[in-house]
Amino acid sequence: MASSRTPDTAAVITGLGIVSPLGNSFVDVADNLLAGRSGVCEIAAAAGAREGRQFAAPVTSIPHPTAPGCDDFAHLGRLEQLCLAPAATAFADAAVAGTVRPQRIGVVLGIGAEQLKAWELDFLAGGTRVFEPRRDETLVHAIARRLGIAGPAVAVAAACASSGYAMALGRTWLDAGQVDACLVGGCDILSPTAIAAFYNLRALSRRSDDPHKASRPFDRDRDGFVMAEGGAFFMLERRAEAARRGAKVYGELAGVGMSSDAHHMVTPCSDPTEAARAIALALADAGVVPADVDYVNAHAAGTPVGDAAEAGAIRLAFGAAADAIPVSSTKSMSGHLVSGAAAFEAVACLAAMQREAVPPTVNLDAVDPACALDHVPHVARPHRVTIAASNSFGFGGANLCLVLRKAA
Amino acid sequence: MHTLQFQPASAPACVLETHAIVEVPLSETRALRDAPSPAGAPALPPRFLRHCDEHTVVGVRAVLEAIAAMPEPAPSFTRYGVIAAPRQAGRIAAAQTLAQVAKAGGIAVSPHIVPQCSLHAIASAVSVALGMHGPNLGTSGGPEALSEGLFAAMSLVRSRGCDGLWLVFTEWDEEPILDVAGVPTNDPLCRAVAVAVRPHSAADAGSVTFSLAAADSVVRREPHTKPSASELVAFAWALGMCAAGGAIASWAHECPWGAEIRIASPSAAAQATRAHGTEHMRREAA
Repeated sequence: MASSRTPDTAAVITGLGIVSPLGNSFVDVADNLLAGRSGVCEIAAAAGAREGRQFAAPVTSIPHPTAPGCDDFAHLGRLEQLCLAPAATAFADAAVAGTVRPQRIGVVLGIGAEQLKAWELDFLAGGTRVFEPRRDETLVHAIARRLGIAGPAVAVAAACASSGYAMALGRTWLDAGQVDACLVGGCDILSPTAIAAFYNLRALSRRSDDPHKASRPFDRDRDGFVMAEGGAFFMLERRAEAARRGAKVYGELAGVGMSSDAHHMVTPCSDPTEAARAIALALADAGVVPADVDYVNAHAAGTPVGDAAEAGAIRLAFGAAADAIPVSSTKSMSGHLVSGAAAFEAVACLAAMQREAVPPTVNLDAVDPACALDHVPHVARPHRVTIAASNSFGFGGANLCLVLRKAA
Repeated sequence: MHTLQFQPASAPACVLETHAIVEVPLSETRALRDAPSPAGAPALPPRFLRHCDEHTVVGVRAVLEAIAAMPEPAPSFTRYGVIAAPRQAGRIAAAQTLAQVAKAGGIAVSPHIVPQCSLHAIASAVSVALGMHGPNLGTSGGPEALSEGLFAAMSLVRSRGCDGLWLVFTEWDEEPILDVAGVPTNDPLCRAVAVAVRPHSAADAGSVTFSLAAADSVVRREPHTKPSASELVAFAWALGMCAAGGAIASWAHECPWGAEIRIASPSAAAQATRAHGTEHMRREAA
């Protein structure tokens, strides 16, 4: 479908909020990513855990947001804090309150298993909510209520691509004129049951003797991903309206592409066709060709099948241009933020643009021949990045690619 | 004092292709997992629904029933996306898992709990079962599922590379009452409404249309109240009426943020906004 988007109606990012294992501000996250620092560490094993030593990439502190509606932040549950902190930070950073009517501001929260996590956290704290026939307010409506957002509020879930789908949906609302500003992003939380479920699925790395080396996307010795928590939020606005009110601009969400493998509910698809189609759709949506792309932030979580399939998808979508496009997986440092991953990795793309350097894939000691690409192992590579593509793929075959463009 | 502003009808976003509602008691969902597809609908892969949540079982069935209701041969849905909007899916499996973990530890956690009971699970199951390669995603999970699902669909239906969308709404008629092991002690109905839509075009003059009226153009009827389970039944009833040219020709669902999604039969499409505005004016005057 032809896009009616013009330079004036392009969706630009005017606010940003992050809570992650690599820091809680754009500066800290950019510094840590480009220094190749890992947020993975040993964590306290839950009662009944499968292994005595557990590791993950946790958020070590959640900043108290200063936005109105957050006065009781310290008394909220950890899941609500992890979502509200970056959302409120992005909202305040964009300074839309008072300049954009609340009815014209929307919010889309990408979160894959809100109810499962909420029930589990309550149960672990001695609660019984999972056994009770309740119909509680969901997080996205709580965020909207607290921040005074009176426009559409929708939660979306596409497993590990959830926050990217949230960004995509928010942009369609801007395109359709349904909102003038939209808070988009997503978040996730570490929980014992999720860790156990992924462990039992054999999706997690078992390199418990050396947690820092466990997340090794594209490496020949990769054996699964490392779970993480946190996420990021952005305020999206049409460029002309952002300029009219003098908003600062971090970058542009220039293109989105979505597809489904229709392969299996659990196992990743080794056929790269549909993942490549999502990338191609995103490039077309952004009005760019493969050779225009300066950096690809790969989904690559460190799973044997998934990384090789993604490398194939990048080759298929970018063709010969793939030889000259630096590719890295920042999950090697951040771990896998699951629902929050796509939004966090969009931040990594903005960091690459601002710092003119591509973050590395740490622990990439020996590239798997099945994953041959222009990798950036171990240390950041100085490189001017104007256009970046970021992939996210989830359970159930949800494929997503975001194309981001540097602010003019 | 109210100032009434009547906006012109918003352009239809999409048109209805088919729909179905399915209601199954919890006690019968086990048999439904292995039931053959209805005549005219594609067969599912063997044991496909074995590990699925009850909402997925009933949601997939509603899609199959909606396909079976179409004139044969049914069109290809290869480039369709899926949006599923359940209310409180996965609670039985979650309760049973947590009860087992408390006794046996992490070894008791099924690897299926996350992929089959998360919010995306119903949409993914429909996508996988029927070979749909458009975007698949879950929305809401809570009380506002109908609003969130419909509103998301109004813009995503025009996604690049997507020919149309399946919308699947699911809910319990009455929430399951669980014992300490997570075993249900009642037998509530699990309900699903499946709707296929495609983007509206000039050639769709004879179709039931969905259109979106932004909050700015909607005159408030009354303070928003929480939707009840019957809201989904009303939605399915309205779809049926509009499709059959029955007693009502148009129907509007009001989202909590004030926007309205309007469904109109072909004959009513031109008059819907005017009639709607008149009704509001009467209410306001009263």
